[in-house]
Amino acid sequence: MNLKKYFVRALHRLQKGPGYTYKELLVWYCDNTNTHGPKRIIKEGPKKKLIWFFLTLLFASLVFWQWGILINTYLSYNVTSSLSIGFKTMKFPAVTVCNANPFKYSEVKHLLKELDRLIEAALERILQPTPGNSSENISPPLDLDLWHQIPLVLIDEHDKDNPVILDIFESNQSTAGNETAVGNQTIASNETTVGNQTAVGNQTAPPPAPANVTSEEKKYKLAVKLCNHQGSDNCTYRNFTSAAQAVTEWYILQSTSILSKVPLQERIRMGYQAEDMILACLYGAEPCNYKNFTQIYHPDHGNCYIFNWGMDEEALNSSNPGAEFGLKLILDISQQDYIPYLSSAAGARLMLHQQKSFPFLKDQGIYAMAGTETSIGVLVDELERMGYPYSDCTMNGSDVPVKNLYSQYNTSYSIQACLRSCFQNHMIEICGCGHYMFPLPEGVNYCNNEDNPGWAYCYSSLRSSIRHRQICIDSCKETCNDTQYKMTISMADWPSEASEDWIFHILSYERDMSTNVTLDRNGIIKLNIYFQEYNYRTISESAATTIVWLLSSLGGQFGFWMGGSVLCLIEFGEIIIDSLWITIINVTGWCKGLKQKRAQARYPDAPPTVSELVEAHTNLGFQHEDAGALPRDEALPPEPGTPPPNYDSLRVQPLDILGPDSDAE
Amino acid sequence: AMAPGKKITARIKRTLPVKGPQAPTLSELMRWYCLNTNTHGCRRIVVSRGRLRRFIWILLTLSAVGLILWQCAELLMNYYSASVSVTVQFQKLPFPAVTICNINPYKYSSMKDYLSELDKETKKALETFYGFSEGKSKVRRSVDEGNSTGTDFFKQIPLLKFEDFSKTATDLRSGQKRKIEGSVFHKDSSIVNSGDSNDIIGFQLCDANNSSECALYTFSSGVNAIQEWYKLHYMNIMAQIPLETKEELSYSADDLLLTCFFDGLSCDKRHFTRFHHPLHGNCYTFNSGENGTILSTSTGGSEYGLQVVLYIDEADYNPFLVTSTGAKIIVHDQNEYPFIEDIGTEIETAAATSIGMHFTRSRKLSKPYSDCTETGADIPVENLYNKSYSLQICLHSCFQKAMVDSCGCAQYAQPLPAGAEYCNYKKNPNWMYCYYRLHEKFVKEQLGCQQICKDACSFKEWALTTSIAQWPSTVSEDWMLRVLSWDKGQKINKKLNKTDLANLMVFYKDLNERFISENPANTLVILLSNFGGQLGLWMSCSVVCVIEIIEVFFIDSLFIVMRRQWQKAKKWWNDRKRDQSGKPPEASDLERQGHDNPICIDEDLPTFNTALRLPLPQDNPLPRTPPPNYSTLRLETAFTEQLPDTLEVEQH
Repeated sequence: MNLKKYFVRALHRLQKGPGYTYKELLVWYCDNTNTHGPKRIIKEGPKKKLIWFFLTLLFASLVFWQWGILINTYLSYNVTSSLSIGFKTMKFPAVTVCNANPFKYSEVKHLLKELDRLIEAALERILQPTPGNSSENISPPLDLDLWHQIPLVLIDEHDKDNPVILDIFESNQSTAGNETAVGNQTIASNETTVGNQTAVGNQTAPPPAPANVTSEEKKYKLAVKLCNHQGSDNCTYRNFTSAAQAVTEWYILQSTSILSKVPLQERIRMGYQAEDMILACLYGAEPCNYKNFTQIYHPDHGNCYIFNWGMDEEALNSSNPGAEFGLKLILDISQQDYIPYLSSAAGARLMLHQQKSFPFLKDQGIYAMAGTETSIGVLVDELERMGYPYSDCTMNGSDVPVKNLYSQYNTSYSIQACLRSCFQNHMIEICGCGHYMFPLPEGVNYCNNEDNPGWAYCYSSLRSSIRHRQICIDSCKETCNDTQYKMTISMADWPSEASEDWIFHILSYERDMSTNVTLDRNGIIKLNIYFQEYNYRTISESAATTIVWLLSSLGGQFGFWMGGSVLCLIEFGEIIIDSLWITIINVTGWCKGLKQKRAQARYPDAPPTVSELVEAHTNLGFQHEDAGALPRDEALPPEPGTPPPNYDSLRVQPLDILGPDSDAE
Repeated sequence: AMAPGKKITARIKRTLPVKGPQAPTLSELMRWYCLNTNTHGCRRIVVSRGRLRRFIWILLTLSAVGLILWQCAELLMNYYSASVSVTVQFQKLPFPAVTICNINPYKYSSMKDYLSELDKETKKALETFYGFSEGKSKVRRSVDEGNSTGTDFFKQIPLLKFEDFSKTATDLRSGQKRKIEGSVFHKDSSIVNSGDSNDIIGFQLCDANNSSECALYTFSSGVNAIQEWYKLHYMNIMAQIPLETKEELSYSADDLLLTCFFDGLSCDKRHFTRFHHPLHGNCYTFNSGENGTILSTSTGGSEYGLQVVLYIDEADYNPFLVTSTGAKIIVHDQNEYPFIEDIGTEIETAAATSIGMHFTRSRKLSKPYSDCTETGADIPVENLYNKSYSLQICLHSCFQKAMVDSCGCAQYAQPLPAGAEYCNYKKNPNWMYCYYRLHEKFVKEQLGCQQICKDACSFKEWALTTSIAQWPSTVSEDWMLRVLSWDKGQKINKKLNKTDLANLMVFYKDLNERFISENPANTLVILLSNFGGQLGLWMSCSVVCVIEIIEVFFIDSLFIVMRRQWQKAKKWWNDRKRDQSGKPPEASDLERQGHDNPICIDEDLPTFNTALRLPLPQDNPLPRTPPPNYSTLRLETAFTEQLPDTLEVEQH
């Protein structure tokens, strides 16, 4: 009872004006709300009432539908891009220069001597195949152990279905079983596994006779035989359509194994030294020399030198376009000291990259040809992206699940570093040793033939495994700020024939302090690297949909269809609370009624209340009421006989009530 | 016993009676509208006291309406604008098709049968005019001095030398002078400074039907003139050779490709598709996707791309047709036609050319955002190339079609339309003149091709970074050439020269795909939101207001006007009747008893139901709630009661 009174009072306080029934409440709401539709529902005749009711309903549902679309748009986190192009003072890119050849041949000759003799002898046998002359005059015996670790074989495909495998340094040839399918060469399955190695026939292979081949098909192919471990049956023949490719590939595998045993200091010593390679340097008007370059050991290219890496000192700025204000270098690659079988292309390898990033020359590097002047105009192409949730990129690589092995160089994260680290991690996991081309984590050694006999097989299968590549692609993320250096490359012959003599003379004198000319056309390279007239193109992203955008769009929609605002929503909430109150009151009233009924059931008549008694005295027409449906207060009308409030009266009523209320306030 | 249908209509009529607007007059209606509308300005107009204030409010309201209209028009006009988004996706990338051609189209040695006549003539011309005889320099092949046949070529197109732009010219072949008639126009007269050079070489093309119609093409250098002249004859000869024979005459895959390496694995000629280009002979496309599979790379870097060594047989080059040595390559999409003569990249011999690629995909929005075409199906030019649409294809097809229409035969460099054949001067003696005329028109955009052809909406682009290194290096040259000779050597028995070789590497610099796309900047939802924002900002208006305006200003006003007219007519009729009968009027009193307002009357004659509804029973002793009214009307009366003086002042 107390509770109900409290509720009623609270309701009174909450709602000044609306009646006590749902209908009154609704009518009051419609009349007083700030949304546009509802007012019209109650204003005019029944037909318009119906039209406006449906219109309001339609608009309300339109609003909700469009809100749904807007919120969806917001949650899709779209971005808009803005592009800016122009010239500004920018950090000059870091310039890495390397020699295409990693080591001086004169320095590594003692390590590679055996290998070179092997390949020479092998080529001798392949290219001049004179069967009777097979025991030729090789004075020192060949190191066949080295050969057998990773042998090259010749595959005779005269008979397509039954290829014969000829070992170059062995007398007996082995036939591959019928089950081998050397022929089916798609790129994906280029490696032919010879399963039945045990079925070795003592059959002598027909001598390779190039002249009498009538068909255009090539009959002999070189292949690299890779075994799980030496003498194992689990072997793979890596076919090559070209012998040149096979030889290079074989030589790389063998030399990798040899060089991986050499300590790093020794390898650096064997490479090209800065003072030998960088002959002249000019940055803008300021002279620079090889000491301005940071040395870094790159597994592919030996010693590389980085200008303006920004590791120790501030990065240099360039505030003028044009070749006069860029970097000018003269390099010597001394081509006659190349390792003949390792790299067939001669030139300098160079790359422009950001400060504090590792140069991945195989991916992004370009060549500069000896005997030419190469001019490189640079345009910095930047892409600045928003991070999560707008796009799936990483700011600094800390959220990438791959251990970055290049962090030992103090370089920043890049996708190339991630992919290589990922590969090296797989390699260590599967093959048990690290590949020579990539950095090593703690406590792991590089692969070599002695300690890991099956490494080449393992590496080769891992390298061509699509699955492992996909794992790495999936786990690495690109960086959000992607900077590329767009280069406009042009070349000219340098030095000119007329100036050749004195230039070589001076440069030789400066480097070697000798009056003899120690340089030649095949080694010397001039490089000009400079900013173009427009040196940057920046594409930056910004969020297409912000919370402000969302709110104004939501407001616009609500306003467009119904003229509503947030306050209207609050009004609506208020009405819902009110109707809840009414429900509660009704329910409590109904419960009370039920209780009374039960009490009535106990006694035949309910005890008369005070009002009933009074009523009984004053009203002759008093009839005892069924006290079921409504609570007493409401059930008793203040004036008997007044018709129930109808539509018209409801409209007038709030005004009447509101009037004094507002006056009182 | 009414019919059920009638019952229902009666019921509808009862529950939803058709009634006119409650306001009796237009001004009442306007007043009611202003007071009751949801928009903000109108109410102020009515409520304000004082003329100035009311005037200001009218002005403000009108300007607000104007602003709304202006801003909404702006919004509508900017509806079809696009915003650009750039996404970068790191992923496994499809490798593009790489088409490789030798710069020289056909083996010179095998073309001898067809070209010996022409070459002989050319050499003779060189000798007579420039005093150049080949015997002194490089002896390529024996020149047999058969002077029997052969001024045919010069008869067709005479090579001429001009002196000071006079009307006389020397015939290069015969040495005799002849007079030039007809219109003269110069191929590159805009570049040539006419005064100083007295040796101007050119040729004359005449309309075969009307020999006075002649066109003269001059070149500042004999090199250009002779090459152009040679090319015309060459195309004539080639047009008569069937395609199969031409394919035979050109290089085979084995001839061109020495080694091939892709994605770390060996590949061979089976990965290449032959593609016959009219000007470049046999070209070979790597990864053409012809067998349904397109190779992709999942690792960037030079090792994992395509590496090929090409055999460029320099000795077998045509000396007049091509003057540079090497190969031409183009990186394109599998569906794209390789326009190698237009956008190919040249590859040097004795060098390793490394081409790093960066992949960008772009998409434009088609109509109504921009004028581009998705598939080319809406362009009225038949696609002669069986590849997907591009602007280049459209222009070439358009020109070829114009050529067939006006010259009667097809130009050699472009594919044949159905039913046409290539021009040669045995069948079409007039074609060269026709071709030059047409080509000039085409260049000057008079053929309308540039107007018809639109660019494609989506395109893929591979940005190339090309750099060159010496290859093979001096120390590796020896073994490299030996081994490559062995590779090749199973067919030809000669040691290769390094100037016959070109090494090419095509690889992805990174596996980032840049996707630049246009998106609609506006959607309908956003447009409506912006409308709503504008309406709300200036007038707190919404669609409801618009409906209100339509309702009040159109329907209700019309209704009131109609009602007025009806009443007038009725009154006039009644007056006439009364004049005739002399009875006092009663209608107005009856009308005054109408439900809501004194003047409102039902258009229908009172039915039983309406009659029942109209007068409420007055037997209730309790004061009845006041009759339903416009609250506005009541408010207004409150105003007039409170402020009678001001109101009167205003009314005066």
